[in-house]
Amino acid sequence: MPDNASYMFAAYIASAVVVGGWLLSLVSRARAMARRGSAIDAAPRS
Amino acid sequence: MPESFAQPMPTMGGAGRTADKPVTVFDWLLAVAVVALAAVIARAIWFTPPEALQGEAQKIFYIHVPAAVVGLYLACPLVAIGGAMYLWLRDERLDRLAESSAEIALVFLSIVLVTGPLWGKPIWGTWWTWDARLTSTLFLWFILLGYTVLRGAIEDRQQRARYSAVLGILAALLVPFIHLSVRLFRTMHPQPIVLTPDKPKLSAEMGLTLSLAFVAFSLLFVAMLRGRLKYAALRDQVEARESGDA
Repeated sequence: MPDNASYMFAAYIASAVVVGGWLLSLVSRARAMARRGSAIDAAPRS
Repeated sequence: MPESFAQPMPTMGGAGRTADKPVTVFDWLLAVAVVALAAVIARAIWFTPPEALQGEAQKIFYIHVPAAVVGLYLACPLVAIGGAMYLWLRDERLDRLAESSAEIALVFLSIVLVTGPLWGKPIWGTWWTWDARLTSTLFLWFILLGYTVLRGAIEDRQQRARYSAVLGILAALLVPFIHLSVRLFRTMHPQPIVLTPDKPKLSAEMGLTLSLAFVAFSLLFVAMLRGRLKYAALRDQVEARESGDA
C-alpha cells in the first residue's frame, strides 16, 4: 500500500482553511455592517 | 461556533433607536455541524480502513465527494430556483437566497477543486488534467466567482437582482453537464460507484463513513446558509436606511 497519508492530511487542512476563512469573512462583514447601522442610529437628525 | 457581536443590531426604522439583541449570524446549528464534521474526519482517519490500492489518499473521498454533491446538487439548484422565483415574484428574500447559495456553492466547489488535485497527484500522477469533469467544474467555479463580482459591481438593487438571477440560472445549467460529463466523454475522473448497482460496492465501514460525511456536510451547508441569509438581511436593512428608504 502506498505511503501517501500526507495528501490526505493536506486535503483535510486545506478544506478547513477554506471553510474557516469563509466563516471569518462573514463574521467580519456582519460586524462591519452592524457598525454602519450603529453609525446611522448615532447620526444627528435634522 | 456561535458568534455574537458587541455592536448592537441596527433597527429597521426609528431614529436613534437600537435593539438590545446583539447581531448573531451563526447559531447552534453551526456548532453541531462542526462537531459532526470533526467526528466524521476522526472516523475517516482512524476508524475507516484505507482502500487497498490507493492507500490513505483515498480518504480524501470523504470530503471531496460530499462537498461536490452538496455544492452541485443542493447549492447550485438553489441559486437557480431563487433567481427564477425572484424574476417571477420580485421578492427580495428570494434574491438573498440565490446570492447566499451562490457564495456557499463557491465555497464547496473550492473544496472540491482543492481536494481533487491533492487526490489526483498520488493516484493519477498529476495535479490536474483538462478532462471534461474537471474543466467543467472549474468553469462553473469561475461563473460563480463572476456572479459574486457582478453583484458587487451593480448598485441598483433591483437591477443587481435581475442580472444575477439570469446568471445564476445559466450557471446551474452546467450542473447536469458536469454530472453527465464522465459518461459522455473519456475522462480520467472515475464514474460514480456509490448507489450504482453494477459497480463494486464500498465496504460497510466505508459506506457508513461516507453517509455520515453527507449528513455532516448537509448540516454545514444549512448552517452556512442560515448565517449568510442573516447577513444579507442585515445588509439590506442598513443599505435601505442609508438610502432613506426605511
